[in-house]
Amino acid sequence: MSKDKLQYDVIVVGAGMAGSTAAAIAAREGLNVAVIERGVKPGSKNYFGGALYTHALVDIYPDFFDRKPPLERPVTETGFWFLSDDGLVKATVQGGVVNSDPIDAYVALRAEFDPWWAEQAVAEGAFIIPKTLVNDFLYEDGKVVGVKTDRPEGDVYAPVVIICEGVNNLLTQKLGLIDHDIKISKTALAVKQMISIPAKDINARLGLPDNNHGMAISVMGDVSMGLAGLGFLYTAKGALSLGVGVTLDALQESGIKPYELLQRYLEHPAIAPLIKDGQMMEYGAHLIPEGGWTTMPRLYTDGVLVAGDAASMVNALHWEGTNMAITAGKQAGLTAVEAHKKGDFSAKSLSTYQDKLSDLFVLQDMKQYRKFSAFLKNHPQFMDIYPTFINDALGMFFTGFGKPKRKLYKDIFRSLTSRRPLFKAIGDIIAFGRSIIGI
Amino acid sequence: MTRRFWVFIEQNHGEMHPVAAELLGVANCLVSEVADELKASGEEAVVEGILVGHDVDNVAKEALMYGAERIYHVDDPAFEHYLNRPYTEALTHLVEKYKPEVFLIGATTLGRDLAGAVATSIKTGLTADCTKLEMGPFRKIEKKLLLATRPAFGGNVIATIVCKDHTPQMATVRPRVFETPVRNPKAKGEIIQESFEVTPEMMAAQLVEFITDQTTNLNLEYAEVIVSGGKGLGNSKGFELIKELADELGGVVGSSRAAVDGGWIDYAHQVGQTGKHVRPKLYVACGISGAIQHKVGMQDSDYILAINTDPQAPIFEVSTLGVVGDLYEVIPEMIKQLRAQKGASA
Amino acid sequence: MIHLLVSVKQVPDTTNIRIDPETGSMIRKGVPAILNPYDAHAVASAAEWKKKLGGKLTVVTMGPPAAEEALQECIEMGADRAVLISDRAFAGSDTLATSYVLAEAIRKIDQEDHIDLVFFGKQAIDGDTAQVGPGVAIRLGLPLVTYAVEIQDVNEEEGFALIVRKTESGKEIIKTKLPAAITAEKAIADIPYASLPDLITSLKYKPEVWSAQEPVAYDIDQVGLGGSPTMVAKSGSPEAHEPAETISVEENGLAGAVKAALEKMLSNTSVAALLEDQQ
Repeated sequence: MSKDKLQYDVIVVGAGMAGSTAAAIAAREGLNVAVIERGVKPGSKNYFGGALYTHALVDIYPDFFDRKPPLERPVTETGFWFLSDDGLVKATVQGGVVNSDPIDAYVALRAEFDPWWAEQAVAEGAFIIPKTLVNDFLYEDGKVVGVKTDRPEGDVYAPVVIICEGVNNLLTQKLGLIDHDIKISKTALAVKQMISIPAKDINARLGLPDNNHGMAISVMGDVSMGLAGLGFLYTAKGALSLGVGVTLDALQESGIKPYELLQRYLEHPAIAPLIKDGQMMEYGAHLIPEGGWTTMPRLYTDGVLVAGDAASMVNALHWEGTNMAITAGKQAGLTAVEAHKKGDFSAKSLSTYQDKLSDLFVLQDMKQYRKFSAFLKNHPQFMDIYPTFINDALGMFFTGFGKPKRKLYKDIFRSLTSRRPLFKAIGDIIAFGRSIIGI
Repeated sequence: MTRRFWVFIEQNHGEMHPVAAELLGVANCLVSEVADELKASGEEAVVEGILVGHDVDNVAKEALMYGAERIYHVDDPAFEHYLNRPYTEALTHLVEKYKPEVFLIGATTLGRDLAGAVATSIKTGLTADCTKLEMGPFRKIEKKLLLATRPAFGGNVIATIVCKDHTPQMATVRPRVFETPVRNPKAKGEIIQESFEVTPEMMAAQLVEFITDQTTNLNLEYAEVIVSGGKGLGNSKGFELIKELADELGGVVGSSRAAVDGGWIDYAHQVGQTGKHVRPKLYVACGISGAIQHKVGMQDSDYILAINTDPQAPIFEVSTLGVVGDLYEVIPEMIKQLRAQKGASA
Repeated sequence: MIHLLVSVKQVPDTTNIRIDPETGSMIRKGVPAILNPYDAHAVASAAEWKKKLGGKLTVVTMGPPAAEEALQECIEMGADRAVLISDRAFAGSDTLATSYVLAEAIRKIDQEDHIDLVFFGKQAIDGDTAQVGPGVAIRLGLPLVTYAVEIQDVNEEEGFALIVRKTESGKEIIKTKLPAAITAEKAIADIPYASLPDLITSLKYKPEVWSAQEPVAYDIDQVGLGGSPTMVAKSGSPEAHEPAETISVEENGLAGAVKAALEKMLSNTSVAALLEDQQ
């Protein structure tokens, strides 16, 4: 066995969306990159709804689609579904802007996509070390010069370490880049089931013309039983992915169990027919960092960069996380390359990473949406009253045959005001607007 | 031409293993299944036992009582303790001499060590751990073949295997899969002493020492009452409770694979496809979900009581009676009531 | 220098099997392929002895290209050389054909560098037949010790090994001349957590791949379906049973449920007779 110390130009911790991207970019520029992944293979610790966003994927590999990536259906119809306890209002859009070429989002399965994404990094020259946990850092003169792993003779040296360890950001905390553990009010637990249904039945039940059409839906309302959170529905090729994510503190306070939420969602009278006779293939859960700007750690220090979920890079309303991770991973990789050119791995040198992200949607959106997760928590009416009201209002409007319309409008109005005074409702809308505009 | 249906008579230091008797019973069934062919061809079919050992004449006599017409007996000091090579060579020699049609071996530790070597030595087919054996037609072949059925993929699939171009058609069967036939003390049959030279080359491995286990007294396969614990126990301590109930019922302790894999109890107690097959008069399954590979090992029990908190547990599909509840509550209550009943009738 | 060899198999992880109700065959999608657990422990034991005595450890497998992963795990545990014997001609091999393929490969390796001890796992968790180890041993004329739970000694100079074998009735200590073959129980050695350098070596290692022609010219009639005396005549789902009558503790209370259960049991004459014998 070699007794020389293990030395690389860059160490990336985690072979997820951020990690494999950082590694690919750095390797592409000729650096010797090692990615240390704790799972048996890349993706074995990752799970999501969910959809991947084309802009980020082709940004890394312009010939992305020519490489025949493992993707499920393209998202050709998307939008919101509002659930009341027994009703459903669909507000989705298809065609027009959504019908771009290529489509802007694709449903994917992490267990299949992550290994493939990592293989692309290997093709660029990165070296992936699986089944190994990075649990500490190596220091020289107070600067990070490498990592320690849980294996015997497990020290690995590199002048720059890119942390892409995911939502449970223990290493980030260890470095003192953030002064607290993950917060239960800022972290959601999402649970989902993948239910196998023949493709033609999926098409028939959801009104999709063929297997080349798919949906990504954000579900609001009854799905989270009044707790701060959202549900989702994604169409895979031969399965439906349905799930709901709710903040940990909401789960704790309410005593509701995650599988109860999911079960209720699946039994909803408008949802149950969609999954009738389906076979449950897979059941899983994952944490999602939702604090955004408010829980973002320092993104760099001497010899270290942080990207992806570990840096809270998620926009919950827009379901953006994987593309933030990819974009940040790319910038981290480029920053590492520059640092090597300069021969300077100090915090000052690496600070250009944050500058670059501030010029891109990643930090701009995180800043803009910084109030959103608190907003949802403080405005539960968006999870119960308003979705129910939307159902009632539209329902009443479209069944008001023979009713004097003046009375009908009064009834509709009252169905809101009986639940929420008008001025408060207006205030809610303004607050919502502010939370997404960021003022 | 005589059609020979052979059974390996396993013995351990002069005591015949009960599986040999069970297989003699099976062999006789197989013979009866080709009665029509025998009538048409005028051939004879015999069930014969093969005994290898040293100073084990009593075993030969015992085997005749369970349905063997004839025993071929190879005796040599070299065979006193089982060793793979000399036993394999002796059996190979006899097979080549007498050319049996079917050869059955018990799937005990010894049998599984021996059968694969013999089948390879003869270059014939062997099907392991069969749960059903019959002579039946296969495609357009004139003579009936041995149809050997065994669970596959942990019991989720039942597969029937044939060996169509090679003889003998070999199969191993775990103890207690088949019933013990009736013992006939008056049985008359031949014992033929066969000679076989054991060369020094065959004795490259030797037994140095033998250490008995405390689990020797277990005899799970032939117990009349078995109380088994599984994953629902949660830990190894749970087996203390299982033992209490087993003692109360006069039985022995069994286990599911999960409990053995978890290190809570020794493999000797494992009931199932890869453990022991049992067919007690009473089998109590506690905290056992009833995965197919466990079911396969105990579903032939006369009366099965299952205790489990999950009313959907598959174990209830093979049980005679089920109690849906927590075994840590049900078992103590059951022991209490059983003792009260004993007290009342004492 | 001692030369140890382990024959391994990559198997589907059968603890969580699902069967396709329509085709009756195993749903392989999503079922990970693993190094057969018994083989892994055999490799761990061989690696321990290789280190102890200073020598070489070779692993072989007969399998599809994907079996390279299983070989990599063996390198991780300390194997020096891994050989994948892979060819379409081997498809459909039963245990007789498999033991032929492996025996000839091992014979070839032995020609170049004499092998002292051949290890097998006790059985593969997909086939569960435990036939290949004994089959290879007899083909190579090796003394065989199955169900090995401990290797007490390997003496290269004097050419013997002391193996502890577990049977239903107890433990046997067998002294065998070398070369010999053993099949291993899990107890024989713990699986080590490889050092990072060893893991990296295994990730970079490319196994040698042997075909049905090179470097061993196999007799085509003895491999694959053609070389397999046994075949599957039919397969199907097991029969359904009639479900049990169940008594719920929740509905009847603990005492009530147990009382009802005992009553039912005692109404069965056989069980009643059994329990009476206990009085």
